[in-house]
Amino acid sequence: MTGLREQRPADRVLEMTLDGEPVKFTEGETIYEVAERHRKDVPTLCYDPRLEAFGACRLCVVEVEGVRNPVASCTTPATDGMIVKTRTAILEKHRKTLLELVVSENRNVEVDELSGYASQELTELVDRYEARTGRFAGKQSGTTNDADRNPFILRDYDNCISCYRCVRVCAEQEGDYAISVMNRGFATQITAEFGRDLRDSQCTFCGQCVQTCPTGALGDKKALRDAETPGEVRKTRSICPYCGVGCSVDLLTKGEKLVGVLPAMDGPANEGALCVKGQYAFDFVQNADRLGKPLIRRDDGELHECEWDEALDFAANGFKEAIAKHGRRSVYGVASGRAPHEAAYTMQKFIRAGCGTNYIDNCSRA
Amino acid sequence: MSNPLRDMEHPDVIFAIGTNMTECHPVAATRLKKALARGARMIVADPRKIRLASLADVYLPIRVGSDVALLLAMAHVIERDGLVNWEFIEARTAGGDDFLTHVKQFTPEWAAGICEVPAADIERAARLYGEGAPSAIYYTLGITEHICGVDNVKSLCNLALMTGNLGVEGGGINPMRGQNNIQGAGDCGAIPNNYPGFQPVDDPGNCAKFSTAYGREIDCERGITKVTALDRCGMDEDGIHAMLIDGENTVVTDPDKNHCEHALKSLDHLVVIDIFLTDTAELADVVFPATAWGETDGVQTNTERRVQRLRQAVRPPGEARPDWWIISQIATRMGVPGFEFAEAKEVFNELCGLSPIYAGLDWDRIADGEYQWPVPEAGHPGTPRLHEKEFTNGRGLFSIIGYRDPAEVISEEFPVWLTTGRRLQSYHTRTQTGRSAGIEYLLPNETLEVNPDDAAAWGLENGAMVRMSSARGSIEIPVKVTGMSPKGTVFTSFSFANVPVNVLTGSGYDPVTQTAELKVCPVRIEAL
Amino acid sequence: MPSPSDQELIGRWKGEPAPLLPLLHAFHDRDGWLTDEALAAVAAGLRIPIADLYGTVTFYHHFSRQPPGKAAPRVCTGNVCGLNGGRELLAALEGDGATPMPCAGRCDDMVPVIVGDRALVGTSAESLVHRATPLPAPNPGGREECVFAGIREPGRATLAGYRKSGGYAALEKAVGGMSPSGVVEVLTASKLAGRGGAGFPTGVKWKAVAEAAGDPKCIVCNADEGEPGCFKDRALMDHDPFAVIEGMTLAAYARGARVGLIYLRYEYPETVGILEGAIGEARAAGMLGGDILGSGMRFDLHVRRGAGAYICGEEGSLLNSLEGKHPFPRNKPPYPVTHGFNNKPTVVNNVETLASVPPIVARGADWYRDLGEGEHAGTKVICLSGDIRRPGNYEVPIGIPLRTLLDEWAGGPGEGRSIQAVTMAGLSGGFLAGEDLEVTLDEPCIRAKGSFLGAGGIIVFDDRRDMVRAAHDAMEFFAHESCGKCFPCRIGTQRITERLNGGTGALSLDAWLAEIADIGETMKATSACGLGLAAPLVTDSLVRYFPEQVAAHVENAAAGPA
Repeated sequence: MTGLREQRPADRVLEMTLDGEPVKFTEGETIYEVAERHRKDVPTLCYDPRLEAFGACRLCVVEVEGVRNPVASCTTPATDGMIVKTRTAILEKHRKTLLELVVSENRNVEVDELSGYASQELTELVDRYEARTGRFAGKQSGTTNDADRNPFILRDYDNCISCYRCVRVCAEQEGDYAISVMNRGFATQITAEFGRDLRDSQCTFCGQCVQTCPTGALGDKKALRDAETPGEVRKTRSICPYCGVGCSVDLLTKGEKLVGVLPAMDGPANEGALCVKGQYAFDFVQNADRLGKPLIRRDDGELHECEWDEALDFAANGFKEAIAKHGRRSVYGVASGRAPHEAAYTMQKFIRAGCGTNYIDNCSRA
Repeated sequence: MSNPLRDMEHPDVIFAIGTNMTECHPVAATRLKKALARGARMIVADPRKIRLASLADVYLPIRVGSDVALLLAMAHVIERDGLVNWEFIEARTAGGDDFLTHVKQFTPEWAAGICEVPAADIERAARLYGEGAPSAIYYTLGITEHICGVDNVKSLCNLALMTGNLGVEGGGINPMRGQNNIQGAGDCGAIPNNYPGFQPVDDPGNCAKFSTAYGREIDCERGITKVTALDRCGMDEDGIHAMLIDGENTVVTDPDKNHCEHALKSLDHLVVIDIFLTDTAELADVVFPATAWGETDGVQTNTERRVQRLRQAVRPPGEARPDWWIISQIATRMGVPGFEFAEAKEVFNELCGLSPIYAGLDWDRIADGEYQWPVPEAGHPGTPRLHEKEFTNGRGLFSIIGYRDPAEVISEEFPVWLTTGRRLQSYHTRTQTGRSAGIEYLLPNETLEVNPDDAAAWGLENGAMVRMSSARGSIEIPVKVTGMSPKGTVFTSFSFANVPVNVLTGSGYDPVTQTAELKVCPVRIEAL
Repeated sequence: MPSPSDQELIGRWKGEPAPLLPLLHAFHDRDGWLTDEALAAVAAGLRIPIADLYGTVTFYHHFSRQPPGKAAPRVCTGNVCGLNGGRELLAALEGDGATPMPCAGRCDDMVPVIVGDRALVGTSAESLVHRATPLPAPNPGGREECVFAGIREPGRATLAGYRKSGGYAALEKAVGGMSPSGVVEVLTASKLAGRGGAGFPTGVKWKAVAEAAGDPKCIVCNADEGEPGCFKDRALMDHDPFAVIEGMTLAAYARGARVGLIYLRYEYPETVGILEGAIGEARAAGMLGGDILGSGMRFDLHVRRGAGAYICGEEGSLLNSLEGKHPFPRNKPPYPVTHGFNNKPTVVNNVETLASVPPIVARGADWYRDLGEGEHAGTKVICLSGDIRRPGNYEVPIGIPLRTLLDEWAGGPGEGRSIQAVTMAGLSGGFLAGEDLEVTLDEPCIRAKGSFLGAGGIIVFDDRRDMVRAAHDAMEFFAHESCGKCFPCRIGTQRITERLNGGTGALSLDAWLAEIADIGETMKATSACGLGLAAPLVTDSLVRYFPEQVAAHVENAAAGPA
């Protein structure tokens, strides 16, 4: 047997003190995970619950009794009897200083919420800590890649804070390893192989880097087309219309316009993942080619728009005539593997209750 | 899938055969990649050097259509090397003795001659699968779209049965469904042999149940498949003369395009429901505008049998209406009772009332998508993993399978194997992805993937136009030289209307499922 | 001889432990720089994602991605050479494509210039010569030494010479009659602590690895002597390589390890040959390999050359670098003693620590402990450089006064000069000045002054020097070497450097001091590794000892561009 199973945390229940309260936890949990369960709202910028904790932003530092320096709660395992404080005056001061430093390296902190799922994280923390003080002014980090003309992923690295969530999600969540970090220190830059365009790399345009970016440095170019469209952004939970994996998505709309798609982090099949189709191929829905009226073939041999009553009666009569002329086994129904259950169910009921046959199939044989 | 998607992160050994998962089911593939990152090992059998192949511990570039030979030889090695799970065979299966005797004749050396891979690699693969604790099988249309599709699937079942890799976390036999609700279409009874919930139509009890429920007598015999129906279009005897097609671009996706078009044209009455005026809709007498994804409330079932809700987010264009409403209106206007549905919820709840696998579900209960069928009664938690304690029909049955050549094999006239499939960036006939901005940046046009050695031998450069012909027709297509294609085999997808590859396909059908052999088609290639 | 093909190079290294760095060096040596094609071949050969490999290569400043590449001179403009003609030499060599490099570990014999695999020294373009690493002078205080006790013996760098002067007595003693735990006990009793800077008790570390589950265990010698002002490990490896090898072999015996790796900094090209030659000799003589001294003990050693990254001296970064990963520090826990090289139990020890082991095992814990001054145990090599008459390596009893070393052993400052300040721990300990120069050389005393002894580098600044400039150069080094992983260090070192450079415009002195203090406090509290934790000691001590120089600097900055 391999060691795969050994990595799962044991179920042994242990106890620690969190901000003065005794709390239970299981072996393998980090301080951050325990604190989150108890709604401590510990700030962080480099954390994505789907990824291995990284410990870059240091905002999540907490005080542990008996340890000289604060520790990063995201990378430190909780231990039995540990006494932890998540919000002291000194911790809050460090957090504010860190956020002031982060603000000082970026061109802007405000980005449109259509940029991506996590795009407001920096803005929210900066506001919470009143960190827009203008202190620590200096050079900005990161260089925006305007040359990459791909239609999906904005690469505005002027707003990058080097949290590496994009690099890590690409490696750990997607397994694509399309992007990495080049240089070091303040010259750090997120890059694809040899600095190339994403299209010429291992990138599959799943959009996961965009959705985990906490600053909008990586943005959803398609959704951002509607940044100026008036209206509030509304979310509707649904399921991706493409393959059979059944990824949960949130449809983003402004008024009656479908403007984008977000992966649902709590989607049972995908747990936040999507692919290029589910993420970006949504706008067929409101394409100008959509049919908006029934069509009927007239004497000229062409299809013409008509009213529903005429079309429905014509369709019904055609089936009635076929049954009358050729018998009930002359009618066949083909259900869609794309439409919802209700379509397939009514289709089979139409054949079975309408004709009394089992002359029904769907498109699975193609 | 016998196992839930989350199980894909937990196999010890992965056996991926006939599945280009990173392109066709990318999100499922991410879970396999996580398993690999944690130390799982992987066997990949596929004629093409797909991305999964580059991640594999053992890669078997088998000749198209030779899967059964490979699987028989793997069973042979597992039996020969004492990797059989006797406890499982005795407790849970039937027919094991016959099967284990049967496979003694199929040596790796024999299979190597058919599959065109080294016998030693077959042995390695067999031992890896046999020793995995657990081992999981993943497959897609590369297994089923053959004249021996059923044999392929049964051969995989044999492997899982003989090693006891069923009903365990991280194991199982896991076909990946290609379309968002193809599982659901089956669940709902849109198949000629089963009522909703996979209740066989030829069971008199079921027949009586539905005849009562629907208020009219229903045939107690199976219907015909779509393939047969298309063959019988316009025929005098037992002919099909009227057809209602919902959301399928039959003439592009189905094999032997010319035959299919001819069939639909010979109907007296063709009604198509779709969101676009597809090539198929162009042939119809009436076309109804349906609501699309994002405009409809409804339900769909994913590949792991998870029943999930779709929700409306925007108004449909013009007067487009839901498919169920359109079909119900036609039925009602034909005088058929029982179609007085006011909303999708009523349709789904009626389905739940008639389907034992949905008996514990209703519209509100599935709001968060937490159930995987069967859910036999209210309060049941659902069934993420099938076959944990026993098989649906009692014991797992071994099948005695032999190898057969594809319907057509390469010849002097058609010396190259063509195999078809999908690509990451496009979906089916591109009615959707082709109308989504930006996709064309990644995949502007269709190409024929040709091995560099073949390209050199045939005097072809990247981008050269060729004529590709089969016994049924010919198309023109530009060449892409790539090591992904093995020597002697070319690949393309069926996505682009201007390269209708299904003009060529249609050499044969599986006798049981009537699934077309889209994965194998001998062709001739000529430079233009 | 035709140059080897890609596949030959990959085949040579693929099966070896820690293959990435040597393979990259092989391509770098063959082509003079790392081409896209070379990286693609390495990525495919070692199954490393190409984007990862590309990013990782750009991390190391000695890997060149375009011509003239390796052939172009690299000139040390480090914190000592910068005071003594390094920048002028760089300017003189610009026509040859010369580029600057941070401290190259030759502060006792300046200025080092690396051309290809040759390390030259000189203060003008015309005077560049190859010269061996200076041998430590005989102990000026006449004190008994540990690691330098045999280093001046003739032929010490050969196996025969080493054995003749007492070498391998310790290994023979251990293998012949001591249990592995017995060796650990001697080390624990000797109170030897890590000489690379962290000062963790060596015996405790060894015991932890010996007891950790997992195989094969690994010994890593940290020879990435990157701290500016430190050059002791170079002297030890060049003049007493077998002491390091014997120390590692004893470590392996004590901990049940079978693999040893020496991670050597790029800037010591001649040391590669010395170490590999010595390892070859030892192997041939049965002192390494499958049956050491006929005892059945199995252990072998490999040298891995870094490529220019100070952070790789941090043990987590060093292990990541060996494993071919991006050389970020690792989160702790887990610690290397349980999850080190390839996730197996690993001890990472400094060169000086390992070289101390044979004499301690041979002569006993009491002997070593008693070498220290008063209560203090043992000795420490101090690397003395800068404005001092006799720079060099001095092995001092721990606890002797700093003034004794500076004035009596090393001759004090130049004629007519006085000592304004010294650094501690190379640069990482910041400055000591004024009355605090009266410290004794031991951690408790120096830590009480807000600094630390660390790896033992001391750079002297006499009264001519601009201490704000010195602090700037120190911080610029830390900013250059910050790995970029943790926010406080990545942004903090940059912002402090800018403020010491005068590029901050019209900040009031109070605002300037408050910004420096806030950044420093947060870096010291929240940084992920020693670099960021220690860097603010430079500004802390600058502000503490030299408030007038700071005030003048801020005033000048506010008045206009510096």
